[in-house]
Amino acid sequence: MKFYVEPLSKCTQRLGSLSEIESKPTVNIKTPAVMLHTQGGQIPHITHEVFKLVSRKSQILQIPLAGMHTFKEAMQYYEGTISSFIGSKDSLSCLTLQDPCNITKQGHHSTLKVPIWTKNGKVYYDAKSYMDVVESFKPDIYFLLSDGDTNISSSEKRIAKSVSNTMNFYKECLDRHRKSDALKHSFVIAPIVGGYKQISRERYISFILEDMKNVDGFLIDGLHNNGPEAEFLEFNEIEPIVRCILNKIPTEKLRVVQGCWNPVNIINLVELGIDLFDTSYCHILTERSAAMTFAIEITDQTNTYEINLRDSKYVDDFQPVLIGCECLSCTKYSRAYIHHLLSVHELLGPILVMIHNVYHYLRFFEKIRSCIQNNTLQTLQLSITEQFRNHQKTK
Amino acid sequence: MTTKSPLVFSILTECGTSKARVSRMILPHGPVDLPVFMPVGTQGTLKGMLPEQLEELGLQIMLANTYHLGTKPGTEILQKAGGLHKFMNWNGCLLTDSGGFQMVSLLKLAEITEDGVRFQSLNDQKAEVMLTPEHSIEIQNAIGADIIMQLDDVVKTTNPDKERIEESVYRTTRWLDRCLKAHQNPDTQNIFPIVQGTLYEDLREKSAKDHIERDVRGFAIGGLSGGESKDDFWKMVHLSTNILPKNKPRYLMGVGFAEDLVVCCALGVDMFDCVFPTRTARFGCALTRKGQLNLKKEQFKKDFRPIDENCPCNTCKNYTRAYLSGIVTVLPVACHLLTEHNIVFQMNLMKDIRQSITKGKFPDFVRDFMLQVYPTKNYPSWIIDSLSAVNIKLK
Repeated sequence: MKFYVEPLSKCTQRLGSLSEIESKPTVNIKTPAVMLHTQGGQIPHITHEVFKLVSRKSQILQIPLAGMHTFKEAMQYYEGTISSFIGSKDSLSCLTLQDPCNITKQGHHSTLKVPIWTKNGKVYYDAKSYMDVVESFKPDIYFLLSDGDTNISSSEKRIAKSVSNTMNFYKECLDRHRKSDALKHSFVIAPIVGGYKQISRERYISFILEDMKNVDGFLIDGLHNNGPEAEFLEFNEIEPIVRCILNKIPTEKLRVVQGCWNPVNIINLVELGIDLFDTSYCHILTERSAAMTFAIEITDQTNTYEINLRDSKYVDDFQPVLIGCECLSCTKYSRAYIHHLLSVHELLGPILVMIHNVYHYLRFFEKIRSCIQNNTLQTLQLSITEQFRNHQKTK
Repeated sequence: MTTKSPLVFSILTECGTSKARVSRMILPHGPVDLPVFMPVGTQGTLKGMLPEQLEELGLQIMLANTYHLGTKPGTEILQKAGGLHKFMNWNGCLLTDSGGFQMVSLLKLAEITEDGVRFQSLNDQKAEVMLTPEHSIEIQNAIGADIIMQLDDVVKTTNPDKERIEESVYRTTRWLDRCLKAHQNPDTQNIFPIVQGTLYEDLREKSAKDHIERDVRGFAIGGLSGGESKDDFWKMVHLSTNILPKNKPRYLMGVGFAEDLVVCCALGVDMFDCVFPTRTARFGCALTRKGQLNLKKEQFKKDFRPIDENCPCNTCKNYTRAYLSGIVTVLPVACHLLTEHNIVFQMNLMKDIRQSITKGKFPDFVRDFMLQVYPTKNYPSWIIDSLSAVNIKLK
């Protein structure tokens, strides 16, 4: 798999592509792009077949190990890749550690090990046991093991520990990767840790720059502890540390962030030069019965940023969730019906909300790419920011 | 105003040996190939399946429950939506029950009077709810199903009080007349009467003969599949289909286990409904001709076969038992995947039944089917007896 991107400046919006994938030579994923967040190998509420009603384009599935622990043993015996095991052999798989939708519990640290939070509690992985899993999963893309348990309030001691642990993981995982036949076509992403302390980040980056062979991209890790609260992170708090990192890493490699970033922060991060995100934001919205209705084009007929379909005012509202949206939920179903499904706790309710949210989010990213192409990203940024601020005022 | 009858029924082939027949019923929302199994979509949705998916599977008719829909969203919303078909975006046929059975199981039965059935709600207010024949038809008119059921005076088959049962038989006929009188849409919705009488031959005969005198286009056989012995069960079905006219469809309510479906088709039944396939999917069970697979069990964790190698459904095409085992009862999507398989299982069974009757090979089909279920030929006596009564001998 190769990543091509332009322009090669340090902190600027850019257009790229992931292509020349050995097992899927016709696939071409344009960046900035979004990985499809999954739990247990499934997009929440949407089977892989139903997803084809949302989009027929090739996708990258973000597969957190946290939700896959139950399959660890089965995968040792299974002869195919993780993509085919979870029922989506035509998708690219990206193995990551924690689930961005769930708050990663802090603490529980152990030297040279990372606690992965599964549904049955914590399971510790060290470099070896992690790479054993990676080899059995055979993902198209994967993140090296990292200790990214830091946020804006982390102590110096915690940051130092996360850096020293991750330095060890980096060396051992890469060593193992280089010896592995199963992973020879896998795209490797190196997490960068160091909390919000510039010196720590720089120290970590210098360390990994000494040995960059086989590393295809970077994850800016350690900015938050996952979960729905990531939606409310203030960009002015994270911008300095993100800039610092982007100034130091090679520009031609892929840059990834994970988490439930709100659309305003997404554009801000795209402006700095981030290439890859995930759809965890869609899931947390669906979990609270909310549908995204912010305008992407000027012509979109909407005056709300998001609507909560549990609200009783929708009981007899036979309009679609978003007028003009061409997703399945908006072309075939009404707010009243979705409201009914949610109020009687039927499975189809979250399905229809999620179909809309993922469709809307994918359309948002398409718009981002076309704005970069036409040099109009700032206009989009102003529009989204204004809608977001208005929404916050009414809450 | 339509001049065509809202139910056109024609027998295509009769099994020369048993009472089985293949026929076709044309309802306002389309044709239905009989014998048919109707899955139950209680609250206007079928356990997470999209109507689009159901249409693709070839599903022609499903059930919805009047009590649930009458409570939420209620008749007013359904009327505003233009009926349940439009509300839930289902273009196939619908059948609704009267609401009586649900209420008996979900509420506290206060009293049955000639007027109707009085219930006490289970909420704190202990409000009293009255369901009359007129009210049941009113809700069913608002829902707009192609076939609607009369409100009947249901008595448990385990109730030995013949006087009470006799009362219920006569009352059911009186209520049928009240339903027919209250019916607002005789040109677009078909009322089916329900034959009662529990296990008393003379009372069943009386009930059936009284109903036959009314101007109705089909009949339901009720009050069975609820605790009586299988020996009694089949005899009442056999008796009922002997009396009911051949030129109108016969609907046996609440029957859905595979072997019951096969036997009752041999006894001349055309339509069935049951929550079993969709309910058992929720608990992680998949149906096969050889019996149920409880996918939560340890034995499936490394079983990389599909649920059924011969099943054409999406679940069997894309997922292994090992993977499903890890997600059933954990991810909502698992319910969706198993529901799809179980519905396809039921539909394929009915299709095989129809095809074997058409080819004149129904008795062979029955023998092969029973051998798959009972490979050691230890057939239950009720199955031997019931099939023997219609000239099918199990070796």
